Amino acid sequence: MTAVAALPDDVARVSHELPLRANLSALDNIALIPIYQGHFNVAESNRQALQLLEQLGHADIAALRDPDMTPVQRFVTKLARALILRRPRLVVDRPGAMLYDVPYPAFIRQLAMRAEMAGTWEIFDFSWNQALYNE
Amino acid sequence: MNFLAASIESLGAKVVGWFTVGYGMAAFLTQAGLLLLEPATWNRATFDVVVKQVYFTAVQILHVFLGYALVISWLIITIILSTARDFGLTEFASEMAIRVLVLELLPFLTALFVALRSGSAINTEVALMQVNNELDALAHCKVPPMQFEFLPRLIGGVVSVVTLAGLAGLLALLMGYLAIYGMNTAGFEPYTRTIAKIFDFRIMAGLIFKCALFGLAVTLIPVTAGLETPKKLFMVPVSVLRGMMRVFFAIVAIEVVSLALKYI
Repeated sequence: MTAVAALPDDVARVSHELPLRANLSALDNIALIPIYQGHFNVAESNRQALQLLEQLGHADIAALRDPDMTPVQRFVTKLARALILRRPRLVVDRPGAMLYDVPYPAFIRQLAMRAEMAGTWEIFDFSWNQALYNE
Repeated sequence: MNFLAASIESLGAKVVGWFTVGYGMAAFLTQAGLLLLEPATWNRATFDVVVKQVYFTAVQILHVFLGYALVISWLIITIILSTARDFGLTEFASEMAIRVLVLELLPFLTALFVALRSGSAINTEVALMQVNNELDALAHCKVPPMQFEFLPRLIGGVVSVVTLAGLAGLLALLMGYLAIYGMNTAGFEPYTRTIAKIFDFRIMAGLIFKCALFGLAVTLIPVTAGLETPKKLFMVPVSVLRGMMRVFFAIVAIEVVSLALKYI
């Protein structure tokens, strides 16, 4: 898994090793990125973050902080944070470590169909989980 | 012989450790200072964290702090007045009370108060962020932790300590007047003359600088101590313990140096 950590800068990672900022809401965690990278104001950044959560079908989690989230909600927030980076590649790193209570290949496929993203999604997972993706 | 060598080795390791910590803090402070000058630092998110920091450090505790400053001021002024009366030095009582309280004791107690309340919280939070990889996550998202997390805490700490010490000082001046002259305007002129005599430009600049240094000590040291934490959860209490010890020594050192410069 060192290969995942050594991925280049143009890759947006969703990983259990890259947690959310615990004292910020889901919306703030996502909106930080347009503020710092796009130099948008807070209102515009919040609008973009909320729009992304709506696209992913989880607008209701906007006000939740990390400790109050379910694994699915946490994953969706991390995914939205990665998507708003607008990098050409998105890597989901060992999804089983984040989505341990849902059949995650189907769940991620569902989210991928909802999200508008120009680049490619890649999933890095253990080889012994290969069978899960063939179901 | 072995014992001597081991002692020298241990002492050397400690001295090298102190220099390493000192260098780390100086480098961190330089980086923060340079970032302060960059216009890109001053975005809404950074400003919001500064406001939050000032709110949690100074505004939220204002009533408790002022109550505590009131009681301490009243007690010290009463002690100084009664002692001065006993020795027939009443005319020096107001000057002595102002010097002891406003210039020395209240800024020192303010720094201790903020260190215990906010410094320990900052140390714990930064250590947890370090252990939980939250700083790595911010860096991955190209959100600079220095601009978003650390610099606002340093600014908030300095603003809070300077403001709280200033407010406590004003309260002490009011208490001093009431204790010496009561609800009587007759003492206004001599009292303000004493204040003007004490607070010349040099003393005021020194007081503000000292309070700013206190504010920096109670935020910079906890942040750097938090960043030194190894990525192990059980090391968080150790990090807070080390950080708070350093804060205590720094506050005492600042106070001692300030006293020496003023009175020796």
